[in-house]
Amino acid sequence: MKNFISILGSNSDYSTNRLLLQFIQKHFKDQANIEIFEIKNLPAFNKPEDRKAPHEVQELADKIREADGVIISSPEYNHSVPAALKSTLEWLSYTNQALIDKPVMLTGASYGKLGSSRAQSHLRQMLDAPELKARIMPSSEFLIGYSLQAFDDNGNLTDQRKIEALERIFNDFVHFVDITNQLVNANESHQKQAPSYSWEAK
Amino acid sequence: MKLVGIVGSNAEFSYNRLLLNFIAKNFKKLIDVEVLDIKDVPMFNQSDDQTNSEVIQNLNKKIVEADGVIIATPEYNHSIPSALQSVLEWLSFKIHPLDGKPVMIVGASYDVQGSSRSQLHLRQVLDAPGVNAVVMPGNEFLLGEVYDAFDENENLKDAQTAQFLETCIKKFIRFINVVNVLQSPEGMKDLSDAEDLYATGAIDTTVEGIDMSADDWLEQAAEATQAVEGNTYVKLNRGLLTVNQLNYFLNSMPAELTYADSNNQFLYYNHHMEKEDMLAGRRPEQVGSPLAECHPERVFSSVSWVIQQLRSGKQDVVRTQVPTHGPDKFVVHSYQAVRDDNGNYLGINEYVQDIQPVIDWYLEQTGQQLTGGDVDAVSGATSKVDTVSGATAKA
Repeated sequence: MKNFISILGSNSDYSTNRLLLQFIQKHFKDQANIEIFEIKNLPAFNKPEDRKAPHEVQELADKIREADGVIISSPEYNHSVPAALKSTLEWLSYTNQALIDKPVMLTGASYGKLGSSRAQSHLRQMLDAPELKARIMPSSEFLIGYSLQAFDDNGNLTDQRKIEALERIFNDFVHFVDITNQLVNANESHQKQAPSYSWEAK
Repeated sequence: MKLVGIVGSNAEFSYNRLLLNFIAKNFKKLIDVEVLDIKDVPMFNQSDDQTNSEVIQNLNKKIVEADGVIIATPEYNHSIPSALQSVLEWLSFKIHPLDGKPVMIVGASYDVQGSSRSQLHLRQVLDAPGVNAVVMPGNEFLLGEVYDAFDENENLKDAQTAQFLETCIKKFIRFINVVNVLQSPEGMKDLSDAEDLYATGAIDTTVEGIDMSADDWLEQAAEATQAVEGNTYVKLNRGLLTVNQLNYFLNSMPAELTYADSNNQFLYYNHHMEKEDMLAGRRPEQVGSPLAECHPERVFSSVSWVIQQLRSGKQDVVRTQVPTHGPDKFVVHSYQAVRDDNGNYLGINEYVQDIQPVIDWYLEQTGQQLTGGDVDAVSGATSKVDTVSGATAKA
């Protein structure tokens, strides 16, 4: 049984990405305990001099550290990741760097046809930055387009093919978490090197 | 040219703010840049619409009024900061001030990358349909290792870097002019009907009941209004002149002056030369005519465009150079909006000047010379003329 933390990439009161994470939580409950973390109460990142994480951010960081893996579900705003999710990642990279070497799986839902494809590609690039250095699962794109119509009244995905695709990716992720953690433990130098990184490093 | 510079960081200290301040200071002869901070903009949340907050409305207003926008972005996690992202989300949610706006991207970062990846992300964000800015291609200005880039006076240390930045800025000025033509339906569409060039309406000052096209409109209108002339005194703000003095005074102006009112009626020019001797010929019997009768029909669209620029307040003055006077003259037509104390549009003051003698005098007095080779040195001025001349030179 794995312990995962999932981050909802939207701060909106209504979000189909929340529905998606809730579906994942329910659908895979025999394989993993999945907590859904809401970012809407996090303060906006403002690069404080003292580099101290606000307690909400520290709480998230602790949960990430304790989890075997992280699932991030992002909507797409302006071809990119919402500012609220960006801010969350900035806090993590600037303060405690909790995502370093953490296995991450991405999902996304959008109202339109493209299903957050551009946001996910930006998110991958961001998570790959040396300050974040997450271990993102490759070749695992999962997109839900027309997300307002994608769920039934019980919050279940209605498209059986989407459910099967999600199951394949989720199973991959369970293995990916094990493999990645082996790899990371084999080379702990990453951990030592990364915390010294900062945007101010001269 | 009025530009807005947006600092892409909300940090207390930001090298990108320094960079924008440097641009504002160093290129103030080329552009007028107002640097705007985003640190008071709240985090975007679609469930908590704050579009009408003062800080967002202020940004909106400044951007709408600007000819172009320069965004200076740092790079956080290979992307643009959430603070900038949040601003762009607000400015694409209920309001869209960047729609069609020319935008130039610059960026500074501590590492060698100089914000390379975040600039690419920013381009993609600005290209999203809700934002729909027109981003200048190429001319990528990346300032890496920025902690070492400025001297104690906050000027760029490296002359080549500053020179390249100047090149980029000049290209942006040209880009803005091109985009304006491209963007505005005015550039392509027939705008003839946008203005009542036949002056069929009437304003408070219109003298009604007289044929505007009549050769003796002035005489008829003067009689109808019992207009004063000759040695009668007129009280002005601030002064007292006779009508004769006023005429001679206006005739002595170093420009050909023309007044057309907001009803598009040609009311006055400082007549003291024959048509053939003028830079822009006028005939005494034209006074009183609607603007439609003072221009060939093929330029009606351009004339309307100029009036619309002034009437709408988009521009206070539209200038164009008319190159048909030979190499010894540099003749500029300036269409200046006449407004009352409350800013209401009253009409156009078109003044036509040959500014070559002024330039020659300046060079003589200062002992300077024009350098012929550097085309870019005058690109700001020439490109503006180029793009507007299509619309107005014929007018």
